[in-house]
Amino acid sequence: MSGRRLNLGLATGGALVGVVVAAALVSFVWTPHDPTLVDAAGKLREPGGGYLLGADKFGRDTLSQLMVGARTTLYVGVVAVGIAAVVGTPLGVAAGMAPRSRGWLSELIMRVNDLVFAFPALLLAVMLGAVYGAGTLTAMIAIGVATVPAFARVARAATMQVMVTDYVLAARAAGRRGPAIALRHVLPNIGSVLIVQASVSFAIAILAEAALSFLGFGTRPPTPSWGRMLQESQELLFSTPRLALWPGLAIALAVLGFNLLGDGLRDHLDPKLRNARG
Amino acid sequence: MRRIGIWIALGGLLLGTAACGGGSGGRSGETAAKESLSVGFVAEPANLDFTSTEGAAIPQALLVNVYEGLVKLDQDGKIQPLLAEKWDVSPDRKTYTFTLHKNVTFSSGAPFTADDVVFSLGRVKTDWKLKIKSQLDVIDKVDKKDDTTAVVTLKRPSNGFLYALATRLGAMFSRTGVADLANKPVGTGPYQLGVWKRGDSIRLDANPRYWGAKPAAGAVTLKYFKDATAMNNALLTGGIDVISSVQAPESLQQFADPNRFTTIEGTTNGEVVLSMNNGRPPFDDKKVRQAVRYAIDHKALLDTAWAGRGKPIGSMVPPTDPWYEDRTGDYPYDPAKAKELLGGKTYTVKMRIPNLPYAVASAQVVKSQLAQVGITADIEPLEFPARWLDVVFKQGDYDMSIINHVEPRDMGIFADKSYYFRYDNPAFGKLLASADEGSEQQQTDDLKQAAKLLSDDAAADWLFLFPNLIVAKKGVTGLPQNAIAESFDFTGLAKQ
Repeated sequence: MSGRRLNLGLATGGALVGVVVAAALVSFVWTPHDPTLVDAAGKLREPGGGYLLGADKFGRDTLSQLMVGARTTLYVGVVAVGIAAVVGTPLGVAAGMAPRSRGWLSELIMRVNDLVFAFPALLLAVMLGAVYGAGTLTAMIAIGVATVPAFARVARAATMQVMVTDYVLAARAAGRRGPAIALRHVLPNIGSVLIVQASVSFAIAILAEAALSFLGFGTRPPTPSWGRMLQESQELLFSTPRLALWPGLAIALAVLGFNLLGDGLRDHLDPKLRNARG
Repeated sequence: MRRIGIWIALGGLLLGTAACGGGSGGRSGETAAKESLSVGFVAEPANLDFTSTEGAAIPQALLVNVYEGLVKLDQDGKIQPLLAEKWDVSPDRKTYTFTLHKNVTFSSGAPFTADDVVFSLGRVKTDWKLKIKSQLDVIDKVDKKDDTTAVVTLKRPSNGFLYALATRLGAMFSRTGVADLANKPVGTGPYQLGVWKRGDSIRLDANPRYWGAKPAAGAVTLKYFKDATAMNNALLTGGIDVISSVQAPESLQQFADPNRFTTIEGTTNGEVVLSMNNGRPPFDDKKVRQAVRYAIDHKALLDTAWAGRGKPIGSMVPPTDPWYEDRTGDYPYDPAKAKELLGGKTYTVKMRIPNLPYAVASAQVVKSQLAQVGITADIEPLEFPARWLDVVFKQGDYDMSIINHVEPRDMGIFADKSYYFRYDNPAFGKLLASADEGSEQQQTDDLKQAAKLLSDDAAADWLFLFPNLIVAKKGVTGLPQNAIAESFDFTGLAKQ
């Protein structure tokens, strides 16, 4: 029974993520219309006739905007999660590998982590936006920095488990040094945990980017972004609700997709669960 | 060189509104005095002292309502008597003799006399901290002849003087009432400060000592909303009676039901300017600036960016000024001509705009239209007011920007070459100077010519005239049609 649930979640998540990725990739070579071309005559065009989902108040094709918006979303997710993984993982591994004699190192890393963790990601992004100018780059950096602690914590916990295994003890007894153990034994064994974390963080990053763009601190106009599409449709919510519906749906499904994917991957990759299944 | 004030109101969010006739006292009697109305506004004042704090929010709430001047502006932009019953101008146009109303008292109970006129106009020079105070530099001296007669002597004839007195600069303060202007305003107006809940609302109560016709409403509450949608919802659910300035024109459809709501559309002094940095490439080249003006389809821009509300405008003069001429034909939409002027070259420019709804919407249309002629504009929204004011307005580090210049009769900002337009044409400054000193006819002629010069030079492009959009519950009367003065006049406001 558990096997079926796992497959279903993984498959659904994978499919949803696949659609987003496909839309983003296709948008590089083809969109139905220019997503940023303002066309006064096509203002609030109803769906149909080459405009599958209609057009917004600027006369821009909604479908094209959604496709390019997927690109923005993935771009932000990849860079933000990348920053978080590249910075957070070594910190977590270092903290997890620190011997008792150097417990202060572990403490220092983790308490600084807690400090960053306690700081709301959105606030950080708004602050960075105010100082360095709002834009996709500042949004990505802010989301990335705010996600570092999550990676560090997960990496530390997993590292600590790996550090007491027989093969690590054997490697240490054989005189291997810390960095070699980290690369040869720790990283390969915590990889699956990190992949799961990346997937979940990705979902959070998508939401954060949408929220920031909604607030005007994210992607700059006119580059399409799901969050900004939502914001621009706000004043038309009562008269043309479809303008808010599509980007809202896109955000919801993408976040759901990455969450399901993360969940499914955890079930699939977690050695404990795997062992429990026998 | 005369420098008309150079503040930019909080993004034109805070359009002040003109007086709607002193005589419109509306209903009187006990029932009227108990009525209370609430009006939604966009940005709350940081304090109540408009003598030291820039921005439009304070005079919008207090001028004409709490503070009164000797004169005020009516709905058509004409000067009308207020605390001064009448005034005489000497033949050399340098001496103004104001005859004041009798039996006027401040809300503190102190009587209003010519001494207060001498005091208030003197304070502008000594105590005010605003840039616009230079508009009254033309005053040589102010004398009291008797309790109800004040004489103002000017250094030279000035057409702008009386107009300046109708703005906040002419507000009358009590000699005993300026100790705490930031929190306790004392004026002669029909209202006095009731309760100020910071971050939420300001209530103005009827002033029982008021010298003129009692206002129709017993109390008016100004409720502040940071978000246009929140304000719309407050009106839909009955939290407020009036939206003073609609910030999302597309949302007007929500209020289309004439049995529930009234919509008023009038004009303002707000010119939404597409500014170009005349001081650095590529816009130091007149041809490039002209190309931009030809490349923009103003009608389409207004339709898409601001739901067709407002008016195309071709220079820095709104239609309510006497020297207005329709200049929209100077640069008709002609992308071919624009390309020709650019001579096949392409440009990439920084468009640094305030993060305000009208600016962000307009910028996307401008970008799309400029792309057609080979100009790539990179839009960068900056946080308003702080960051935009610092980067664009103070440092002038921008190529293009979009902002609503809401101040009345503000063409003079182009005469200041350190102003962020960096426009430098001595002929323009000369026209403005001679307009201020000359006869009324010469003023009109000179300013018409000045507006034409700005347009010909393509000192900037003017996207549209910001509309005054007010939505009220059905039955609310006494709302101003146009927003051409600094204040939102509550004196005639009533609910049926």
